[in-house]
Amino acid sequence: MIAVLLAIAVQVGSKQFTESVILAEIAVQTLRAAGVDAEHRRELGGTRVLWEALRVRQIDVYPEYTGTISEELLRGEADLAAALERNGMRMAGPLGFEDTYAFGMRRPDAARLGIRSLSQLAKHPELEIGLTNEFLRRRDGWPRLRQVYGFSDARVRGMDHQLAYRALRSGKIAATDLYSTDPEIQAADLVVLEDDRRAFPRYDAVLLYRAVLPEPAVRALASLEGAIPAQEMIAMNARALLDHVPEAQIASDFLRTRFGVASETKSLGAPQRIWRRTLEHLFLVGVSLAAAIALAVPLGILAWRRPRLGQTILTLAGVIQTIPSLALLVFMIPLLGIGAGPAIVALFLYSLLPILRGTHSGLTGIAPELLESAQALGLPPRAALRRIELPLAAPSILSGIKTAAVIDVGTATLGALIGAGGYGQSILTGIRLADTGLILEGAIPAGVLALAVQGLFDVLERVLVPNGLRS
Amino acid sequence: MKRYDGAAALGPIDLTVTAGSTTALIGPSGAGKSTLLRMLNGLVWPDSGQVSFRGRPLPRDGLPAIRRQIGYVVQGGGLFPHLAARENVAVVARWLRWDEGRIAARMEELAAIARLPLDALRRLPRQLSGGQAQRVSLMRALMLDPEVLLLDEPLGALDPMTRFDLQQDLRDAFARLAKTVVLVTHDLAEAAFLASRTVLMRDGRIVQEGTVEELARAPADDFVAHFVRAQRRSP
Repeated sequence: MIAVLLAIAVQVGSKQFTESVILAEIAVQTLRAAGVDAEHRRELGGTRVLWEALRVRQIDVYPEYTGTISEELLRGEADLAAALERNGMRMAGPLGFEDTYAFGMRRPDAARLGIRSLSQLAKHPELEIGLTNEFLRRRDGWPRLRQVYGFSDARVRGMDHQLAYRALRSGKIAATDLYSTDPEIQAADLVVLEDDRRAFPRYDAVLLYRAVLPEPAVRALASLEGAIPAQEMIAMNARALLDHVPEAQIASDFLRTRFGVASETKSLGAPQRIWRRTLEHLFLVGVSLAAAIALAVPLGILAWRRPRLGQTILTLAGVIQTIPSLALLVFMIPLLGIGAGPAIVALFLYSLLPILRGTHSGLTGIAPELLESAQALGLPPRAALRRIELPLAAPSILSGIKTAAVIDVGTATLGALIGAGGYGQSILTGIRLADTGLILEGAIPAGVLALAVQGLFDVLERVLVPNGLRS
Repeated sequence: MKRYDGAAALGPIDLTVTAGSTTALIGPSGAGKSTLLRMLNGLVWPDSGQVSFRGRPLPRDGLPAIRRQIGYVVQGGGLFPHLAARENVAVVARWLRWDEGRIAARMEELAAIARLPLDALRRLPRQLSGGQAQRVSLMRALMLDPEVLLLDEPLGALDPMTRFDLQQDLRDAFARLAKTVVLVTHDLAEAAFLASRTVLMRDGRIVQEGTVEELARAPADDFVAHFVRAQRRSP
């Protein structure tokens, strides 16, 4: 049993934001340095996705914050450790820093007004405050602050995080909410106001892991306890977000200076990265499309032979098509977890309708005298289908498959949201790091692949569609 | 040989076709000629009554085998556009796994009967003239050497010259093959030229049967007299 567990690499997940990716990378390299095989499942999504993935054993470890666990995941549980234990999980850490909500002001403004804490800020209702929409809404955000410090709503406005920073720098607003490890704190020389009445819950960074993790892995994770002070985390975030240093490199540098551990990082060059993403993308599209063809063509034939049943089949496929792709992907997580599996199922479902329609309309479009001729010649139904009806419907079937394939190539980029890889991974990482180059590294090949698929089907059409049906 | 007794949309009708005879179903459009013809090979199934072939009712689940003994030329020819003329003719033979030699021999025989130049067999249906397409369609119906041949308006959409040639060739073919033939036409002269017996239909029923002369000489009612007169006057 132990042997089996050890044989499989420990899966470390990370959320869709930079700090989480860096922490996961640190965990992976620490595990490897301790001789435990580990793998990073990058940027799988938000808190819910990671928590579910850990619960259903899709991943073994991921970085989390104590406040998130107590406020969102296990709300109302007095004893966190016991509640986690019941879920088959444990916590390693705290890692040494807190990533909590905080308020930031420009250093000169804070000095001039003599504001160092939130209670002092509350005494200046004339100051303009810009808040992110999530913070305005969250129970442990603005509502809590108003209650604890007696802030007034008069000069508060909701805005995007990046815009708020820009407004703060240009002096349009005096203060904004931020995360206490945002690299912008360092870059823009902001003062973080003290939460002197402890309105915010503690958001200590920890590593959540499954309780069945083998001993060497647990020991390696425990070694990170208290290892990362807030300044260090802010600096690492800044390197990733502002200097575009790969997270693996940052983690490796950290471990070397902190523990003197030399961990090799295999950072891929752009060509290898694109090649790998291409293979992942083709895998998603290829498998889902093949499965969809195998089901939708026979279903299309059935729908044509049995018109009443056919209506039901077509309507059902139409309904599936109306489910937003993002929602469908999220539905898949509790059923199939994360990774390529659920993404393939979602793509498969989306491919059904175009192929089904192509097959059905190709068959219903056959001139009645041709169907009658095939029957009258004495061809049994199966032979008529294979020799006459399907070849006649071939152009329509193929164009249905082509539509499905092109849609698949586009939709597969969303698969990265649940850890399926593909071009979407580059796009997501690019968006997170505001790195246009990386976004294009995913977007351009995805576009090229869509065109290539289209071209491939044009060739296939020439080969597969009988001569007599081409105009 | 075939009997048919009554159906809701058509009939009641009682028709017997003897082996080796040539019968023309004639009448104005909407009279039910094509429906009756398609009942003979089970393409249309009667609501009541039955169709018998060689004295036995058509078996509902053994139709393909029966149909291979009944050649059928659908209105307009019904050639499969994705198959070359040759493959149209051979489609069932191939399914039956005839060997190439047998197919080629039969094809040559049929081309002679249908007077189709052999090189036309290589062409796609859309590359054939109307007359050629109709000849290919006839060859396809005859490929398995069926006992019975059903033709639905075989000369319908052809120009007069082609029509004349094909009428001639059809008659020669019928005489040479000695098959039981039932054909649908709305042209009395054509019926007289191609068939020994004429069955005149109206509103889904048979009004009179016999030779065209009999119909002209002793019309069963005013409709028959009127129909014969109208057709005689037209060119």
